[in-house]
Amino acid sequence: MQTNYFILMHHELIIAITIMLLLVIKVGSDKLSNQLVANVTNGLLLASLVLGFIVQPEGNVFGDMFHTDGFALLQKNILVAGTLIISLQASTWLKDYEHTAEFYILLLSTLLGMCFMISSRHFLMFYLSLELSTIPLAALANFDLHLKRSSEAALKLIISSAFSSGLMLLGISFLYGTTGTLSFGEVASAIQLNTPLQLFAFVLIFAGFGFKISAVPFHLWTADVYEGSPVAVTSYLSVISKGAVLFVFITVLFNVFALYAHSWYYLIVIVSLFTMVIGNLFALRQTNIKRFLAFSSISQVGFILIGLSGGTHTSAASVVYFIVVYIFSNLGAFGVIALVQGLTGKENINDYKGFYLNNKMLSWMLGIALFSLAGIPPVAGFFGKFFLLLSGAEKGAYWLIAIAAINMVISLYYYLNVVKNIFIDKSDTSIEKLPIAIQPRIAMIICVIGVVGSGLCGGLYQYIFDLVK
Amino acid sequence: MVLLDNITSVSSSADYLPIGIQLIFAAGFVAFMIAFSAWVGPKRKTSDKLQTFTSGIPSHGDARHPMAIKYFLVAILFVLFDVEVIFFYPYAVNFQDFAADITMKWHTFYAVLMFVGCFLVGFIYIIKKGALKWED
Repeated sequence: MQTNYFILMHHELIIAITIMLLLVIKVGSDKLSNQLVANVTNGLLLASLVLGFIVQPEGNVFGDMFHTDGFALLQKNILVAGTLIISLQASTWLKDYEHTAEFYILLLSTLLGMCFMISSRHFLMFYLSLELSTIPLAALANFDLHLKRSSEAALKLIISSAFSSGLMLLGISFLYGTTGTLSFGEVASAIQLNTPLQLFAFVLIFAGFGFKISAVPFHLWTADVYEGSPVAVTSYLSVISKGAVLFVFITVLFNVFALYAHSWYYLIVIVSLFTMVIGNLFALRQTNIKRFLAFSSISQVGFILIGLSGGTHTSAASVVYFIVVYIFSNLGAFGVIALVQGLTGKENINDYKGFYLNNKMLSWMLGIALFSLAGIPPVAGFFGKFFLLLSGAEKGAYWLIAIAAINMVISLYYYLNVVKNIFIDKSDTSIEKLPIAIQPRIAMIICVIGVVGSGLCGGLYQYIFDLVK
Repeated sequence: MVLLDNITSVSSSADYLPIGIQLIFAAGFVAFMIAFSAWVGPKRKTSDKLQTFTSGIPSHGDARHPMAIKYFLVAILFVLFDVEVIFFYPYAVNFQDFAADITMKWHTFYAVLMFVGCFLVGFIYIIKKGALKWED
């Protein structure tokens, strides 16, 4: 029984040990090499990732509060891989940064929270891990210590996430009041149709999730927070944090609220429509590339919600597959932006004019990533969106798919506008040739392989689909 | 047909009446308390009564005044460690039962030791960072 804990929770344990190790190293020595801290973290994350694919236990601990199986392990592996890529990309920024150890401690704390969140089968456990994964993020958003807008981002993030937690807690307490239990399985069997209070509880919990994934009525914090945070934190917020919450959302929707399927179907369809359209329309007018990616990530969430509306195993598989693709494409784009911002401080789309002239490799990387985000066939983004729309079409709402297709066309404009800036436009003040250190280079190669490979390798979707069942 | 029945009964607005009443009651209670105390309460204003009361110390300036961050830091660290202490209570309450049980005895002790170790590292960290140093 004792060893059972260690094997079932190996992701969480390795991350927790890494956090403690970093803290002890930080306390122990005054002059700390940033490179050492980064290498220790990356090494242990890699170990966790490898272990996650080799050791695949299944079972419950802590009185069935914590559950793990192949699907949960896959989700955790995706998040750990994404964090590893972000950590490699951030090395340019962290090289001369004075609080590198703290950065990693906070980053890994949120990752720990997300891993627990994915495995939680109890609303109490779920809420605790959700808080563990959001509060350190607000501190991370403030890590450009000398910038005022970074503090602004942190404050906006903490206030909006406190508000969303409040809504979600109210929903959870209503659920507890009507069913008398908080465990996912027991709530699912205790839920009855025709109880308005339970439906109201669901709407509140949905609103809480909506804040975290920045679906449209709850998206207002996104752009400001993304713009103010350091690039590494922005990419973490837009990919890992959203991915983790979406993974749990799948469980909550499909298992806990399965009985209300025909009610949440309409809710999700309406929210996804608004999310796609408004995300797209705002993205058209952005000049700052971080703000631009914030709105583009909002509209991507709209597509993900269409996939979720299917409500079957296929839609769970398509959402997870899309998140894998999305992690590679978005991190590919953020990797280049992090490098440019870290070395030159430029982050406007206009600054990228004539970028191809001096930086061939970075331009191709950014180009491929943007093509994938737009969903253009040879790269993986196309397949991701294809599966999402396919599973959304299962319920026969072809008008929804048509509107999604129109939105994809609109999104082509702004993605290709950046590509045009990079490859076609000329500028006298184009960015010089940037030196690429070894870690960002590795991260970039992983992203390119991911973006191209995860689309062409058809086995990946099948692998995810088999795990969902 | 059953599905349709459910849809109509779920979206019937009469079913939401208790929620509406709850919302009205929540808002009404706040409004009532404010209005009632303003209406019923005696109003005998003197210049001494209208002054801000800060535990006997004469007040000066207003509250929107920049303050040294160290006050905030000490306060938040106090709250933090205060909360940590609460986690000992469940252990203390069950201590005798644990001591009687031969397997649980060391098991629980290691768990508490690990917890203390974790926050001790945090404590050493804040001391090394100089968060509790009052004089600059």
